Amino acid sequence: MSLAILARLFCWGEELNRARRRRVCITLIEMALIVGSAPSLAVAQTGNGRIVTDEVGRKVKIPPSVARIVTLAPNLTETIYALGLEDRLVGDTNACDTPAAAKSKQHVGDPQSPSLEAIVALHPDLVLATTSINRVDTADALKNLGIAVYTTDPETVRGMLDSIQHMADVIGVPKQGMDLVGKLQQRLDAVSARLSEWPMVHVLFVVWLEPLQTIGQNTFIADALRWAGAESVLVSRQKWPRLSIEEVVRLQPDYIIFTNDHGGEAATELADLRARPVWRDLDAVEQGHVVDVSEEVIRPSPGLVDVIEKLARQLHPRAFSEARAIRSNGNKSQTALASLAVAPIASRCAECDL
Amino acid sequence: MSGAVPSNASVTAPAVTAARQPVLRLKVEQASYAYAATDRSAPKFALGPVSFQAQQRELIAILGPNASGKSTLLTLIAGLNKPLSGRIEIDGVEVSQIDLRTRAQQIALVQQESELLFPLRVWEYVLQGRYPYGRRLRFESAEDCLHAGNALAQVGADAFRDRWMERLSGGEKQRVILARALAQRPSLLLLDEPTQHLDIGGKVELLRRLRRLADENRYAVLVVTHELDLAAEFCDRIVLLHKGKCLRVGMPAEVYERALLEEVFEAPLEVEMSPSGRPRVILRSGQ
Amino acid sequence: MRPLTPQRVAWICIGLAGVLFAAMVISLRVGAYPIGVRDIVLTLVNGVLRHWDAIPAEFRDVIFEIRLPRILLGIVVGASLATAGAGFQALLRNPLADPYVLGISSGSALGAIIGLIVAPHTPGAIQVAAFVGAGVTTAAVYFLGRRGGQLDSSTLLLAGIVTASFLSAVIMFMMTTLSGRDLRGMAFWLMGDLASRPTVDSRWLYLVMIVAVGSIYTTASDLNLILTGEQEARHLGVNVNRVKLVVYVAASVLTGLAVSVSGAIGYVGLLVPHLMRMMFGTDYRLLIPTSAMGGAILIVLADALARTVVSPTELPVGAMTAIAGAPVFIYLMRRRVR
Repeated sequence: MSLAILARLFCWGEELNRARRRRVCITLIEMALIVGSAPSLAVAQTGNGRIVTDEVGRKVKIPPSVARIVTLAPNLTETIYALGLEDRLVGDTNACDTPAAAKSKQHVGDPQSPSLEAIVALHPDLVLATTSINRVDTADALKNLGIAVYTTDPETVRGMLDSIQHMADVIGVPKQGMDLVGKLQQRLDAVSARLSEWPMVHVLFVVWLEPLQTIGQNTFIADALRWAGAESVLVSRQKWPRLSIEEVVRLQPDYIIFTNDHGGEAATELADLRARPVWRDLDAVEQGHVVDVSEEVIRPSPGLVDVIEKLARQLHPRAFSEARAIRSNGNKSQTALASLAVAPIASRCAECDL
Repeated sequence: MSGAVPSNASVTAPAVTAARQPVLRLKVEQASYAYAATDRSAPKFALGPVSFQAQQRELIAILGPNASGKSTLLTLIAGLNKPLSGRIEIDGVEVSQIDLRTRAQQIALVQQESELLFPLRVWEYVLQGRYPYGRRLRFESAEDCLHAGNALAQVGADAFRDRWMERLSGGEKQRVILARALAQRPSLLLLDEPTQHLDIGGKVELLRRLRRLADENRYAVLVVTHELDLAAEFCDRIVLLHKGKCLRVGMPAEVYERALLEEVFEAPLEVEMSPSGRPRVILRSGQ
Repeated sequence: MRPLTPQRVAWICIGLAGVLFAAMVISLRVGAYPIGVRDIVLTLVNGVLRHWDAIPAEFRDVIFEIRLPRILLGIVVGASLATAGAGFQALLRNPLADPYVLGISSGSALGAIIGLIVAPHTPGAIQVAAFVGAGVTTAAVYFLGRRGGQLDSSTLLLAGIVTASFLSAVIMFMMTTLSGRDLRGMAFWLMGDLASRPTVDSRWLYLVMIVAVGSIYTTASDLNLILTGEQEARHLGVNVNRVKLVVYVAASVLTGLAVSVSGAIGYVGLLVPHLMRMMFGTDYRLLIPTSAMGGAILIVLADALARTVVSPTELPVGAMTAIAGAPVFIYLMRRRVR
């Protein structure tokens, strides 16, 4: 360490980092002396805060009390509200619109290029970022300024639940995190249970209509769809593969899913598709199997579970009405057979020839 | 230096003789050159051997029809190409031995100008002729300005020294280009077909100017041209080239022989002697 | 007859340095974090004297960690681009030439994309990869742009345009077929952005810039002559081939430098030389230093604007130069035609 100090003796620009680094170094030594041989620093709460590793592998020094939080993405803001920590939220982005109260919080810019100064002006104890929408440069720059940045990287729905738990731990409210995650997990399990005996529905998730773009297998959305009992009809390693309408005709999805920000409700979308050549001859369009989903499906946030539940109901109406039938008739096997008969037959898959 | 001093001359005689001895600016001795045309089927083009000399205050024409090797000879004299055999000397030093900058101080070559990209004033353009003197990155001195001013005066362009180059007429621009060459204060002034785009009035004006410049200064002027009449009227000597061969070198009256000219220029010509002793070439009628 | 003198060059440079200083002051003053002029001055003074304890940590952060590095980066980028633009305009004998016409920005972007894919979390990998990309493109275009063993202006221009198109196509291909998430940052980088702090110490950037600008400056007299005609320049004793090579390499280095740390900021390299010509004349002995300073001033002001016009969102600085640059360019074009 002293070599580094000597080497940079005349560098005024790095004076700051050096000083900060020196303090961190001393703190670590202090902690090591006080605590003895601490195997993992992740849970040590003594001294000047603790060091955790965030979901992209960056080491973050968390202050002992996290009273001021800034979020850099809408899903993170939602999570904070869901955890009941909105009083600690001092700033978010101008894209954070759920819940509505988030819009009145102090804005630091948009998620892609927030203003570092605005963040600094809020004196945050912790800044939350996510790989799905924020840039690495932003997190690096904040780290250079000595501000704690925790980056989440949810790739699946389960990953999202883990992220929520991690965030709660980092902020210092692990129990609230466990409660929230527990409830969300329960609801997801309930949906899974309902759908356990039903085959997956094949859907075309439309990211953009012209040019036609859908999702790949390894995306967060694909995972969310799976929880709702749907499988994307296109198998692709790319994140946002483009395809032609011919491919859609060949694949014949059972349902077509649009997101809300397309500006229309399902009825309008359906009418629009019915007017287009080729589209109107698709099975899904003829049967009116066009579903509209909130754009929350893209967000790894607690609201996603609402979306999954709603979508599951729309895609598998009989799975949920069957439950009612079971309760009312008490004759499980009869209705089960009847439901099977009318369930979508011969769901086509992309790979097999049927 | 040409000529020999008599051995029994008095002490002062050599100085007087030396003063009257014209300085030899250019000596071309059996220079030859050859290059292959780009089209392989066409034959190699060969020039030479050519021999002649130019002294200060002489205006010499390198005369010949198109593709006779005039421009090639000019490039040899200017040092752009090295002759395959023979020697070319400027002020007694072989041209190929001189480095680029020094050569620019001794030889000024005037060509048809390229288009200027950015606006430039006349005096700025002429001042660029002083580049060969001094360091590479240089700011012009008072002496540079003096020489540039002189050059402008000599071509009669002093009146429009502050005008923009692109606003000049063709004739004015040519004078300015000439002035830049003069600002180099060369030993040899070379011009390659300078009368190409001029009308007869312009041609005469140019040659008159070159004659005057040659008379009043201490350099030699070489003009590459195919203008028979102008060359005869204004030049001291003619170098006649035909298909790469140097056919004759001498005063116009010596060179302009009807049969010779007809063969070289492939046109029905008649040669007359004017009262001033200079030949005139006329197109023979009735053909 | 008033030829250019070193004194005149010096005075004009001092004047422009003053304007640059004013631009720096303005840029230091504006931003999302509220800090008054008095506090700025105190922070600067204490910072220079290293009395870090005398100023609040946040003032120090905002001034020395956020604003000042950005301004200093902007200066080196602006000066590099403008000088490179002036150099290329002479080298290619084309007033419409800008630093990117020879494909350096595309090559740099391709390098950055490859760096982003291969080592997304290694700090500085992208910038190094971008600079390497610029270097490779420079070499490739050099070999393509030769004619008879020497750099030929028209051949070079064609080679550069073809290379730029090819590389752009490759970049398009890569951006559509590869993971969308990794390349989101590229959009900002391709437009030109000063927010990313380079991992290389600014001092090295300044050193390289000064050396490169100095190299071009040594050919300033030569360039003046070459602009009146290459053959004529040769006859006046200019070593045209050597001059072209020096300008090509130096201008490419400057462009590669600027693009690797801040992306392809447009219009600076094209417009600043023309503006300086309109104000101070076409003599390269004056044009090179004035372009450098003019470019620095422009970027500093454009960046200040980019940071404040839709605060707190920050626009990429390339967006500002494009918005302001396009009308100015049209105006200049019309003036020429007239």
